[in-house]
Amino acid sequence: MAKPVSRRKLLLGAAPVVAAFPAAKAAWAMGGGQPMVHTAMHGHDHAALGHAAMMGDLVPAPGGPGALDALTYPRNALPHSPGRVREYTLAAFDRDLEVAKGVTFAAWTFNGTVPGPVIRATEDDLLRVKFVNGGSHPHTIHFHGIHPANMDGVFEIVDPGDSFTYEFPARPYGMHLYHCHSTPLKKHIYKGLYGAFIIDPPKPRKPAQELVMVMNGFDTDGDGENNFYTVNGLTFYFAKYPIRVSRSKTVRIYLANLTEFDLINSFHLHGEFFRYYPTGSTDHYEYTDTVMLCQGQRGIIEIDFTNTGTFMFHAHQSEFTELGWMGFFEVVD
Amino acid sequence: MALESAGVADRGRSVRRSLLALAPILLLVTIVSAFLTTGGSLVGLLGSNPPQPDVFDVRRVELEPGKVRIKVTNPQTDDLTIASVTIDDAIVPFTVDGPETLGRLRSATIQVNYDWVEDEPLIVGVTSSTGIQTTHELAAAVETPSASPTSFLGYAIIGFLVGVVPVALGLAWLPSLRRAPKDWLAAFMALTAGLLTFLAVEALSEALELQRALPSPLGGTGLVVLALAAAYLGLTLLSRRFSPSGVPLAGLSLALLVAIGIGIHNLGEGLAIGSSFAFGELTLGTFLIVGFMIHNVTEGIGIAAPAAEGSAVSVGRLSALALIAGAPAIAGAWIGGFVASDLLGVVFFAAAAGAALQVVFEVVRYVRRTAPGGLSSPYVIGGFVAGLALMYVTGLLAG
Repeated sequence: MAKPVSRRKLLLGAAPVVAAFPAAKAAWAMGGGQPMVHTAMHGHDHAALGHAAMMGDLVPAPGGPGALDALTYPRNALPHSPGRVREYTLAAFDRDLEVAKGVTFAAWTFNGTVPGPVIRATEDDLLRVKFVNGGSHPHTIHFHGIHPANMDGVFEIVDPGDSFTYEFPARPYGMHLYHCHSTPLKKHIYKGLYGAFIIDPPKPRKPAQELVMVMNGFDTDGDGENNFYTVNGLTFYFAKYPIRVSRSKTVRIYLANLTEFDLINSFHLHGEFFRYYPTGSTDHYEYTDTVMLCQGQRGIIEIDFTNTGTFMFHAHQSEFTELGWMGFFEVVD
Repeated sequence: MALESAGVADRGRSVRRSLLALAPILLLVTIVSAFLTTGGSLVGLLGSNPPQPDVFDVRRVELEPGKVRIKVTNPQTDDLTIASVTIDDAIVPFTVDGPETLGRLRSATIQVNYDWVEDEPLIVGVTSSTGIQTTHELAAAVETPSASPTSFLGYAIIGFLVGVVPVALGLAWLPSLRRAPKDWLAAFMALTAGLLTFLAVEALSEALELQRALPSPLGGTGLVVLALAAAYLGLTLLSRRFSPSGVPLAGLSLALLVAIGIGIHNLGEGLAIGSSFAFGELTLGTFLIVGFMIHNVTEGIGIAAPAAEGSAVSVGRLSALALIAGAPAIAGAWIGGFVASDLLGVVFFAAAAGAALQVVFEVVRYVRRTAPGGLSSPYVIGGFVAGLALMYVTGLLAG
């Protein structure tokens, strides 16, 4: 800041102006060194601040009770039966979605939601996914997992109005995902074309209260940064409608990160530890209360709650938490 | 009888003339309504319209303990709905003092209960229902002075110190200027022109810079030109009233015109100081006040120089001149502290530039007539350059 600054620049950008006079700069530095915090504002005349204000009706969450049931509670796993055909139909179409309270996002969806529907099969099932492109751009479905090269959703571009049927044996067991692989890839993913893809092991997992959580973000103003973060597509939804679980039964979460723009996302649980199986394709697990996932990473969480009560879960990136990615478990006996 | 019918004929002609003058307006109304009913098809011919930007004009952010108040305006044709509010990238619950959907040029105040941290930067964001986020940054969060008797007095003292006091001090040079030889008096008049030119250019560049931050429907260089021209021409009218015969102004009337021009300029300066202080953009130390005082003493010289020619001026008149030039800084500080917005800033600075330019014009006319050797005399040229240099050097003191 060697450049002399006009005294009339005062109205404008402030920090550079302050930096321009040494005396002011010293005062600035002193103020910054000992920040004074207002603390006396939790009185009755003020609305409560902090996370307590982010529960119940005060929460700025879109959607009504049950709005996320279809995406959160997966259908049951089926027993192992090699060669059984599992059929799904996914239709891509453009749809304006209310992703945060009062805020619409011009989404590209599979079957009208972001994330798309949960696809579930048991290992060695024959998956037959019919894809209909009802959108305005060419799309594909690229599944993670093991499959033939011509079923990879990279070269088989499906134009608007066309359809394509992906057919391959479901392998290997674990938590996977699917997403559009048309270019520009970033655009096709952040607009919403992705979802969870569960393959159950031949030997069934032990019974549990099963949940699917797809972590994502929404860049509503197209500046390459997310304005909102969610699990399963609605900001603060599980803060407004906590997930009720029973303490006596394991809680299993199929977790995936499909956040675009931000390199990582994370899941943190309050008041409890859990087993985290990366990708869920082996028995190897980590015992922790926080996991970090890169874009496209996923895994399975198993929680055995010790205590009843309300426990928060959220991204441990504080920014994501406060932009919508947080919720509560209501643990009951 | 004949006379009467001539009168009727006259009246008939004047009515016809009025109707004729109205014809273009009536035609315009007809064409506009025809376009409004079928205009959609024109857009169809050209392709689809781009969407509106959906950006809010954040006019003011005020802080009090535990509360943040954000005043926003809808600057565009389409409605704009406040859907989400963030502070430092965190979504916060908020209330609006009216409907959340704002029509064209409608304003609303958003209130957020928020535990802000003193002296640290604060970024507020307002997101429309279409997901477009408008952000506004405060360089340092400080409590916004509310309109209390004490803060009123505080701003008045600031305005008095940076406006009235230095101008009065500068006027105290009047007796010395009176004894100065004609050459030197011309040099001081040229110095006045130089410093006013400096102020004009600076205020104009400030106005142009500020207007760029405004949402396009409100801003535009047109607003700057309008305010500048209005101030310039307003002062021109005034100078003609001081000198109906068209003789270039001299002596006390020229001093008065200079005082008015500087007064308009100080209104903008007070506004800048007041609003910067209110929004935590300015650490108001004694150093800064002293800097402004030294800087503005030069403005006093500018008024004293023309007054030095001609008959003696009473102390009462001198005080009046000091108030005319300096007191607007007080009004400006009040406006800046309590209601300022960037929009007002643009208007004030552009008007300041226009006023200063008009006064330069008057002073130059005067110098051309009275200076020994005219405008090309070394005293005049030296004085003018010295005026610019003086403003630059003392301006460094005020940052």
